[in-house]
Amino acid sequence: RSRSKSKRISGFDMAPPQSALLPGVTPPTGQLLGTTPTVPGLF
Amino acid sequence: CSRLHTKPSISPTLLLSNMYQRPDMITPGVDAQGQPIDPQKMQEHFEDFYEDLFEELSKYGEIESLNICDNLADHMVGNVYVQFREEEQAANALKNLTGRFYAGRPIIVDFSPVTDFREATCR
Repeated sequence: RSRSKSKRISGFDMAPPQSALLPGVTPPTGQLLGTTPTVPGLF
Repeated sequence: CSRLHTKPSISPTLLLSNMYQRPDMITPGVDAQGQPIDPQKMQEHFEDFYEDLFEELSKYGEIESLNICDNLADHMVGNVYVQFREEEQAANALKNLTGRFYAGRPIIVDFSPVTDFREATCR
């Protein structure tokens, strides 16, 4: 097959995003979280 | 099935669990964005995956057969069965694939008792 000339990159060793790879890792201090935690009864 | 299949400690066949993901895995014929998928694109996607696998697995030994479950049901979904000529080649592939990733997902690899795919049913 001539298609191999335009071979795309293999999916092997394509690591998941860092956040998915290390679920226990906390974001560095000072980094803003995307959402503000909602506390019931507080404004 | 609900059976607990025992894994052999050595076998010429490896099972790569849930490795192939169809682009229309959520709804048949439709991609994750709700757009219809061209059947030819589906075929190409599958062939690319097959090619990736074949290339990688050939590094570890002679491949007797390479079966990819291109199904949508929960059972065996996306399972890949690869049979090498020799048990040692399968063992080598297992050692080299364990702990690696494919397309952002971990590769789950084990020996499989299947040696004849025509006879491969639950017992």
